[in-house]
Amino acid sequence: MERRDFLKISAVSGATAALDACGKPERQLIRFIPETDLIPGIAVWRPSVCTMCPAGCGTTVRVMEGDAEVTRKGQLGLIKMGLAKKIEGNPDHPVNHGKLCPRGQAALQVTYHPDRIRHPLKRSGARGSGKFQEISWEDGIHELVTRLAALSSGQKTAALAIVAKPMRGQRRVLLESLAHALGAPPPVFFQFFEEAVLRQANALSFGRAQLPTLDLAQSNYVLSFGADFLGTWNSPVAQNVGYGEMRQGRPNLRGKLIQVEARMSETGANADQWIPARPGTEGLVAMALARVILTENLRPASAAGGAGELIPGWAEGLKDYAPEKVEQSTGVPAATIAHIARDLAANSPAVVIMGGAPLAQTNGLFNALAVNALNALLGNVEQPGGIYFTPAPPGMAPAQGLPIQPASAYAALTALLGLSTPTTLAPASPPQVLLLDEANPVYALPDPRVKDAIEKIPFVVSFGGFLDETSIFADLILPDHSPLESWIDDVPESGVTQAVVSLAPPTMKPLHHTRATPDVLLEVAHQLGGRVSKALPWKNYEEMLQAAWGPLQKEKGSVQASSADEFWSKIRKQGGWWSSEVAPAAQGRPASAGGPPVSYKEAQFSGNAKDFPFLFMPYESQQFLDGSLAHLPWLQEMPEVLSSVMWGSWVEINPQTADRLGIQQGDLIEVSSTRGTLKASALVFPGIAPDVIGMPAGQGHQQFTRYATGRGANPFKILDPVFEPATGSLGWAATRVKISRVGKGKLALFGGSLRESPREFGKR
Amino acid sequence: MARQWGMVIDLDRCTGCEACVVACHAENNIATVGEDQAARGRAMHWIRVERYWEGNFPNARVIYRPVLCQQCGDAPCEAVCPTYASYHNPEGLNAQIYNRCIGTRYCGNACPYNVRFFNFYNPVWDKPLNLQLNPDVSVRSVGIMEKCTFCIQRIKVAEFRAQAEKRPLKDEEFNPACVQSCPPKAMVFGDLDDPASEVSRLAQSNRATRLLEEVGTLPNVIYLRSVS
Amino acid sequence: MAAHSPEQLNQDVLRPLVRTSWRFYLTGGILGSIVLAALAAFIYQVYAGIGVSGLDRPVFWGFYITNFVFWIGISHAGTLISAILRLTDARWRRPVTRCAEAITVFALVIGGMFPIIHLGRPYLFFWLFPYPSERGIWPNFHSPLLWDAFAISTYLTGSSIFLYLPTIPDFALVRDKAKGWRRKFYGFLSLGWTGTPRQWHRLEMAMRIMAVVILPVAVSVHTIVSWDFAMAPVPMWHSTVFGPYFVAGAIFSGIAALIIAMAILRKAFHLEEYLTPFHFDKLGKLLLLMSLVWGYFIVAERLTVWYGNESPEMAVYWSTQQGRFTHLFWFMVFCNLVIPFIILSIKQFRNSITGPVIASTTVVIGMWIERFLIIVPPLERKYLPYSWGTYRPTWVEITITAGTFAAMALLYMIFSKLVPMISVWEMKLGWRQEAESPQLVTSEARLTGAVPSADLPAPEN
Repeated sequence: MERRDFLKISAVSGATAALDACGKPERQLIRFIPETDLIPGIAVWRPSVCTMCPAGCGTTVRVMEGDAEVTRKGQLGLIKMGLAKKIEGNPDHPVNHGKLCPRGQAALQVTYHPDRIRHPLKRSGARGSGKFQEISWEDGIHELVTRLAALSSGQKTAALAIVAKPMRGQRRVLLESLAHALGAPPPVFFQFFEEAVLRQANALSFGRAQLPTLDLAQSNYVLSFGADFLGTWNSPVAQNVGYGEMRQGRPNLRGKLIQVEARMSETGANADQWIPARPGTEGLVAMALARVILTENLRPASAAGGAGELIPGWAEGLKDYAPEKVEQSTGVPAATIAHIARDLAANSPAVVIMGGAPLAQTNGLFNALAVNALNALLGNVEQPGGIYFTPAPPGMAPAQGLPIQPASAYAALTALLGLSTPTTLAPASPPQVLLLDEANPVYALPDPRVKDAIEKIPFVVSFGGFLDETSIFADLILPDHSPLESWIDDVPESGVTQAVVSLAPPTMKPLHHTRATPDVLLEVAHQLGGRVSKALPWKNYEEMLQAAWGPLQKEKGSVQASSADEFWSKIRKQGGWWSSEVAPAAQGRPASAGGPPVSYKEAQFSGNAKDFPFLFMPYESQQFLDGSLAHLPWLQEMPEVLSSVMWGSWVEINPQTADRLGIQQGDLIEVSSTRGTLKASALVFPGIAPDVIGMPAGQGHQQFTRYATGRGANPFKILDPVFEPATGSLGWAATRVKISRVGKGKLALFGGSLRESPREFGKR
Repeated sequence: MARQWGMVIDLDRCTGCEACVVACHAENNIATVGEDQAARGRAMHWIRVERYWEGNFPNARVIYRPVLCQQCGDAPCEAVCPTYASYHNPEGLNAQIYNRCIGTRYCGNACPYNVRFFNFYNPVWDKPLNLQLNPDVSVRSVGIMEKCTFCIQRIKVAEFRAQAEKRPLKDEEFNPACVQSCPPKAMVFGDLDDPASEVSRLAQSNRATRLLEEVGTLPNVIYLRSVS
Repeated sequence: MAAHSPEQLNQDVLRPLVRTSWRFYLTGGILGSIVLAALAAFIYQVYAGIGVSGLDRPVFWGFYITNFVFWIGISHAGTLISAILRLTDARWRRPVTRCAEAITVFALVIGGMFPIIHLGRPYLFFWLFPYPSERGIWPNFHSPLLWDAFAISTYLTGSSIFLYLPTIPDFALVRDKAKGWRRKFYGFLSLGWTGTPRQWHRLEMAMRIMAVVILPVAVSVHTIVSWDFAMAPVPMWHSTVFGPYFVAGAIFSGIAALIIAMAILRKAFHLEEYLTPFHFDKLGKLLLLMSLVWGYFIVAERLTVWYGNESPEMAVYWSTQQGRFTHLFWFMVFCNLVIPFIILSIKQFRNSITGPVIASTTVVIGMWIERFLIIVPPLERKYLPYSWGTYRPTWVEITITAGTFAAMALLYMIFSKLVPMISVWEMKLGWRQEAESPQLVTSEARLTGAVPSADLPAPEN
């Protein structure tokens, strides 16, 4: 292409933009004073932190000058401002190494979303009617302060409840300090796909209530039980980077991946061998593997240390778990088990992972402990090519011992709302004020009591930028900036073998009349005065962040600075601080929190097998995770990789099952559990067991912007209340269902044929 | 000066995460068309991750294969375009000159890879989503064909910068959006004519193959077969 | 059948030019409103975007290009057939040529519109033509679409001349008999024809040259249309058989269209004495021949693909033999092969006019389906199975398609009101030639009722 042609293309793009304005009212808009000193056409890159999932990847944002149509002081007009144009991975960041997943890429649309709440709102209609009126920030904050002050003066501060999406770093500290200073119960950090069981298991086996970091890059053999670690689980970008290296990063050495799961995940599709074990028997498979390793003397039983002691019969060589014995219940041939066990032992370093559905069973804790014991037996814990636990940054308590918060957010949330819980946790008295920070329990929980309880709370404040099923009940909405407009900090729990603080200033000025929630809360604390303002003395969030993370200047890390100011300005440019000390390889046996042994119990499923012949297996969606990203059009139109579905939801059915029931691709299917019924289109899916029905989470929003509202179905709503008893986590993979064809559905598929050579497989 | 831009995609690394798909949408101002249009086969994804099932339960397997414009050395789309909208540039790219296109869609038929996308309607961005648009990339109007450009806007910026700094362009100085985002580093981009570049080194792999080689299009995208 | 005089002939053929019944207006009104609906649909499409059609990725061509190929095929009715008949001096051609040649011109005009109708940006269609412009580029002569533009414009020009030349003496005849505006109008059209021997000589020379020249043009036009497909590396498009296959199909559908047109003219304008069962018998035989040729081509095409068993082609093959298009495929075979064979190979059926008309109607339908089946199934199943798609036309495409049939009929009707639909002078010339050399009076002449009458008509009047 000639330079001239390039200039032509550029000219056309400019002309298109100019023409777009022709004959439209914004031509008459007034122009505000520019909010930027950027050079037109020249991009600058500013660091930020991805908040789309809890992995905590570092990003870098391309910012360019542009004309935005905004409201300033009640007046609509045009303003020249720095606009975020593209999000890339931060190449220096040790979690994601310059890479980013599709959801992180789509974060741009959170900022520019047409249905963002643009200014503070006060409820003007009935609860849940969605009728709000605009108010000023002063009035909004005043109202919140008044309500909170009333609580404390009436000595009823225990009646304050804070529910937020999972977060770490100073924003979490801020919420916790606020709750503490007001004498309220600790905030609940809630999301549907919580990892309470795994944290509990890791605490018991290794003394760390934390998700593991996988050192895939140096691993020779990966055995994964249900963990979609390349898709959505844990720290997917870090794991993808490691996976690439594991496969092709080392000359003449290619690591193997074995995946055990009843519904093939995005990760399972990459496996060298895919083993559909019966759901709920994954722990048995792990134990059978350990049994082979022990009986063939490939590792001594003592190698597992404390992790082994948690399994009854470990020292005796796991007699009950002979592969031939468990074959009947797991559906995995004994020969396969023996083969993999020998491979595992021979291809050190190997790593065994468990995540997702196996943990969401009534025996989830045993399954996790079994995998931990196997890992420990193989000597994979805190060893290169195995699993690590990310160290906490200096000044932050490491996640040692058992989890501080009651293990499951589900239990904690129900208790906080004054409802009976699946654990021994006592219900609190019903709260008088609820502060909501982007958590959406009404959408995520099958328990209808949660919605009723929230509806009954006299005063609900929401800080999220969007109206969803929960924030629709708010009396007051104080909308947060988008992440790109905010100071963000995060402390990755996993995905990295050194201590990391991701920290970044805003990349652009706020587009709308919003305010950063931490700033608002600090202002509220200031106005409340007394104990609260003493606990949260900072004028704004940046000050608080500087107070918390400024001391890192003294630590050995990625930022070298002689003064506090220099340190802070460098950290702002780099997007965080990371320790130069990589977690050391453990010496000797891993420490265990100890505790009574946990024995295997058969997984319990709700609904009897006769009336409800299928096991319902919801899973975290590649597009929307638990549904919190369903409002982004890029993700809606991104074809989910295995199904190629866009803009919809579907139920996955094994081809033989579909044939037997006379169900065809695209038919509308009714899926019923004892709890409820949903309708979605059928997708014929060769990678699912004949007695399992898969369904992605994420759609079926009743209220979540123009792009997600009323689209598809929500699998959470038909889940029966089955729990993992030790943590009170919802056993979301333990509901039985029946299905029937009810008509013709619709599916927007991007992919044509299922097969590359369709004739070879008959008509399908 | 003339370069031969090319890409190597390692199918053994690709995990089907779809980061490339959204990265491409964000970089190249690709419109989303909505559910109804998507259901009618009008979704635009300059890069897609093809998924093919093999075998049946319990021996089901999946192959992922990212497919984008193969930037053919001998491109069927170029010959058939009556207005030179589809055109071969000196660096071996199949450029699409949007303002020459009158929408015969012949190129789309001729393309064996089906990687050309047509604007059946004018693209719509609900305000203020229009602010996400990349000012370096033209917004396409109704009635014209569009496709992957290997992020030519990035190529040009890098070339201009190298020119201004009076130095040769370095390998991996820049990458198309898909390559830059790819978490397992399955995609590598560079000058195939430069023997020192990573892309030309990988292209020598004994796993190297090209898509639909038998059609004779001489693609500049090289796939490394998955092992196992 | 009574022999008829030149005066009778004049009367019979020129009557429609002056007398118009209410039926004509009614039919014209109905057809006109269909055309207007199609026009509205097209304007809507330009306004809203071509997305209102059913086209998608990967099926970028659908009904519009089907109509294009179909109508270009129909256009082979006239010029090609008439040129062959003229060159071989088939005497029975004389009442047939005019209505055949007219079909060509109108079908070309209609077919030629479709490459523009189907454009994403139809307002820029002129970029297809080479002209010095501020854009500084020529069109791409490598593109078969450009060949199309040239081929069709050449063919349209040639056919128009071919239609016009032998009409000149008839225009002069009308001029001489007419009064008022008609006299002026036909005076203009007859280009000062007075019937001098020099004029006759030149006309004859011109017709002879045109007949020779137009033949290769006609063959090349449909070959080039076929190359729109055959040149692209699309499974089951990329085939060497496409050139002759398309030409054969074109002549096949062209003859069918001609038979239908003749039957309608015969009925509407009471030309029973000139367009006789004999003509339908002859054309019916030709139609049967082309049906068999067409059948030969489809077998040749399909058998080689099936036997070759290349997977991309087989994907398309199976979608027409055992997939979505199976019913349509066998319906096409039924229309193009079974029905014509049954009707036209049996003399009694062929000799009636109804027989050939029924066969022709099914052939026209079948050939439209054939064009559709050539275009759409390969695009739906093109190479990488992940990008396979489906095509469903929308009401816009259906309306525009219906509009083309209405437009064809309407144009033809209007034409028949302005131009004598039987070449009067050629009929008379035929009678005279046969009278001058009775040994040439064949059974054919007797059967057509063209037995010479006593007084020999002067060719000019």
